[in-house]
Amino acid sequence: MTKHMKLTFAAAVVASLGAPALADGHIPAPYQPYAGTTLVVNFPAHPHYNAAIKVLPEFTKQTGIEVEVDQLQYLKMRERQTLELTKREGDYDLISYVVFSKADYVFADQLENLARFFMNPKLADPNYDSADLIDGYVENIGLAGGEKGYLPGPTASLYGIPFGSETSVLGYRKDIFEKHGLEVPTTYDELLDLACRIPELEPEMGGLASRAASGHQASHAFLLHLNPLGGGIFDDSWEPIVNNETGVEAANALKTIVDCGIEGSQTFGPSEAAAAFAQGDYAMFLDSIAFAATFEDPSKSQVVGQVGWALHPEGVKRASQTGGFGIGIPKNAQNKEAAFLLMQWLTSKEADLMIAMEGGNPSRFSTYENAELNAKYPYAATFGEALKYADPDWRPIIPTWGKINADLGTTLSQIITEGLDVQEGLNGVAERSRAIMDDAGYYTWN
Amino acid sequence: MTTASANRLTPYLFLAPALIVLAVALLYPICYMIYASFLDWNPSQRIGEADWVGLRNYANLLGDGAFRESLWVTIKFAAIVVTAEMVLGVGLALLLDRNIRGMSVLRTLFILPMMIAPIVVGLMWRYMYHPTVGIFNRTLDNLGLPTVPWLSDGNWAFASIIIADIWQWTPFIFILSLAALQSLPQSAIEASKIDGASGWQTILYIKLPLMAPVLIVTCLLRLIDAFKVLEVILVLTNGGPGLSTEILSLRIARTASEFRELGVAAAMSNFLLILLMVLTIAMYLYNKAAEMRAARIRAAAEETS
Repeated sequence: MTKHMKLTFAAAVVASLGAPALADGHIPAPYQPYAGTTLVVNFPAHPHYNAAIKVLPEFTKQTGIEVEVDQLQYLKMRERQTLELTKREGDYDLISYVVFSKADYVFADQLENLARFFMNPKLADPNYDSADLIDGYVENIGLAGGEKGYLPGPTASLYGIPFGSETSVLGYRKDIFEKHGLEVPTTYDELLDLACRIPELEPEMGGLASRAASGHQASHAFLLHLNPLGGGIFDDSWEPIVNNETGVEAANALKTIVDCGIEGSQTFGPSEAAAAFAQGDYAMFLDSIAFAATFEDPSKSQVVGQVGWALHPEGVKRASQTGGFGIGIPKNAQNKEAAFLLMQWLTSKEADLMIAMEGGNPSRFSTYENAELNAKYPYAATFGEALKYADPDWRPIIPTWGKINADLGTTLSQIITEGLDVQEGLNGVAERSRAIMDDAGYYTWN
Repeated sequence: MTTASANRLTPYLFLAPALIVLAVALLYPICYMIYASFLDWNPSQRIGEADWVGLRNYANLLGDGAFRESLWVTIKFAAIVVTAEMVLGVGLALLLDRNIRGMSVLRTLFILPMMIAPIVVGLMWRYMYHPTVGIFNRTLDNLGLPTVPWLSDGNWAFASIIIADIWQWTPFIFILSLAALQSLPQSAIEASKIDGASGWQTILYIKLPLMAPVLIVTCLLRLIDAFKVLEVILVLTNGGPGLSTEILSLRIARTASEFRELGVAAAMSNFLLILLMVLTIAMYLYNKAAEMRAARIRAAAEETS
């Protein structure tokens, strides 16, 4: 509390000192009523948000609105928000939320519908160009209320804007591939074949670095393969199909990849997998674009300049991950209009490029096409291409997903480490998922 | 009001503040938890908005394979670590119960592990268990022995968390046993020596029985702690691989934050509470019985003499 009061006081001092200078037209008219306001925002500790924090002073300079950032580890952030959003008056004016929180927050009526802000001529910037926002991300992170409740559709509306969203791409070691005359895999058969051929060609080296740790991580890795192979967790009437032939194929793919990895890879989370690739222990890496900048950072990586990027290999279709974060305005926020202005500014063409240049993940197609960005990060073009195949229905974003996700992830871990039979394991998941869904009322209309 | 009744009320008046503190600090949270365990409550709701589901949470738990698995893991873990720690801690105390120079320094060194923050202990051991650069596998490798999948195989991961816990908490038992040993009446020990008891006999028939009350309390404290251990395992394995190291407190934490089922988490906590209460009462009764038996023997001895 004291911290907040102190900051508000500081902001007031700044505002009163700066007011004469600001009044003579430095601040564009839409922002003037809010100059001197201090917004409290909740961001995760994530490369994209670290980049965004670097450009926040520019926002304050342009608008006179101060921003105080409360940055937390992303799962901690979710816990904190859960408590914060149930309060009558919240401390946060703008929050970043993990994609799967969309279901919980919207369902509990805790996020503002953004329509009333975009309808307000005093707030909405006519040059915002919403068509330029990456549609897969908007559909995945921003929209709720359409098909199946969490997908786009005629009944959907917007609750958030993608900010720090990500998709999956394949990173590979150019030097190793060249040395052995290997082709970059474009299909799943090629990928799995290479994953196990590399340890034979390069002793001590693993094939494909992947997450596999029990719980959320193993489940995430499984989804990376399940979607391109054409499978899903549920069919259109919410019956679990995770244990069908495709599900078994995806689980076997994950097991093959981990078996052909280095020692200890059974317990990798994304950072361990990325670190192993950065240390030169692996020839391939299939995960989020968010790690790309790390591999080119000499202080963290021994493979600088050796990493090539390709699209997520194709199974029966291309379907790369949609995930990461979006930003939204809590229902109990105290400065909603100013928060909207910040949200609009952060996702504008100008700021999106600034953040991308600092190493963030763009939310706009135009940013990916920017020549300056491509000169600084040569992989930007590939990532832009990958986004065309980003699958908004990559995972079911429903309130029961947390529990199903955890169960799926522990079962997959048992498959990987304890030799549990794949079909038997997935049958168990399907059975328990059906009970969870039944309990939550998904079969009420059947 | 008469003076007599005022006098009768005085003690209660003095007790009242303590009672009020007890009610607010202890009873209220426990009642809150018991109440919550009957609700279908997700953290996005205020408690008043949650639906009453009666005993459903408890019934579901009994049918939940993952919960039963984690209960079993917890019981196995607690039994093994407490037994091992008791044997090692008491053994060490018996060995070191003598006047060695620099004993106080040694004692301080021994209790270092339990002074380290649990998260740090977890991190430390995680690096030591690292499959390639960790000290254990590097040593095994240098000796030409096969390396061990410390954290990536279910059984080994379970063994790994046991080793880390024993390392951290044996000193606790050691220090309490040593204190107990040093406060034993010297007369009894001297008498046994005069009667010609060997070292083992002194330990078995004199020292251990005299230490028993302290040992029982120590064992109970460790048992309660072992049932609630969270941080070290959270950092070391986060419950994996599979469910092999998912102890109950970790499952409770995940149920509340990951599955967002506060009611179920509260029901699990109550389960744990009941389990610990049963253990405590059993220990207490055993202690009481032993005391009564000792008193009977003493009385009988006094009669015959």
